[in-house]
Amino acid sequence: MNEDATLRLERLIPMEPEPLFALWTDPVQLVKWWAPDGYEASVATLDARPAGRWRVVMRKRDGSEVATSGVYRIVDRPRRLCFTWAWESAGGVRGHETEVTVAFEAAPGGTRLVLIQQRFDNKQARDGHGAGWSAAFDRLAACPRMKFGSLR
Amino acid sequence: MVTSQAPRLDGVLAALADPTRRKIVERLLAAGELSVGDVAAPFAISTQAISRHLQVLERAGLIERRVERQWRYVRMRGDALEPVETWLSRQRRYWTAALDRLETTAAAQTPKRRKS
Repeated sequence: MNEDATLRLERLIPMEPEPLFALWTDPVQLVKWWAPDGYEASVATLDARPAGRWRVVMRKRDGSEVATSGVYRIVDRPRRLCFTWAWESAGGVRGHETEVTVAFEAAPGGTRLVLIQQRFDNKQARDGHGAGWSAAFDRLAACPRMKFGSLR
Repeated sequence: MVTSQAPRLDGVLAALADPTRRKIVERLLAAGELSVGDVAAPFAISTQAISRHLQVLERAGLIERRVERQWRYVRMRGDALEPVETWLSRQRRYWTAALDRLETTAAAQTPKRRKS
């Protein structure tokens, strides 16, 4: 799984797993932290169970909006949460879909939270594109820009 | 000569979903510029099929072509990976800041413990 990871972030959060899990799955709690500064989050849909949908709209003071949305895949309270993720532009067009997995592990002082965002949705991985694509991409990404530049 | 469009995330991802096209891209990254014939050489598929793959890569904005006399050359575009990089850094920025906010929110809701 790590091979496909776009992003892996780890934090020690000073809260027990159970209430921390609620910060992710309770609409009232989620809006407290979901939106970037300058935006106000509101939950349009949040059905925290496998195959349940979620959508959070983030509104700027000038009225402009962006949203994030997806479908829950795993809701294993309070250990693991997995959902698909995509940005929606103002026109409601959904961008590239990825999968976000959040693991909650009790630790001294609170919860060790590990967030992994994968580049692919499961469908692509199931179709067999995942691993090969990922390896190729890593090689691509590892290629220094100089290489492109030198062709000019 | 067709001018290829600037690469877009979905197009790049879709183009790279195919193993033959990934191999072509890897060869171009290693070699710099190749003639279309050289691109096709290691593959046991028709030149026509290679041409189609090159077309997909070109439309996705990953490669560009150059014609010199009767030879046709292809190479990676300098900005081929930009949409992917932009997107990746956007994701990283979002989640890093979001987890900061989560941490602050959690800390504010958790009764402070006395340090022993």
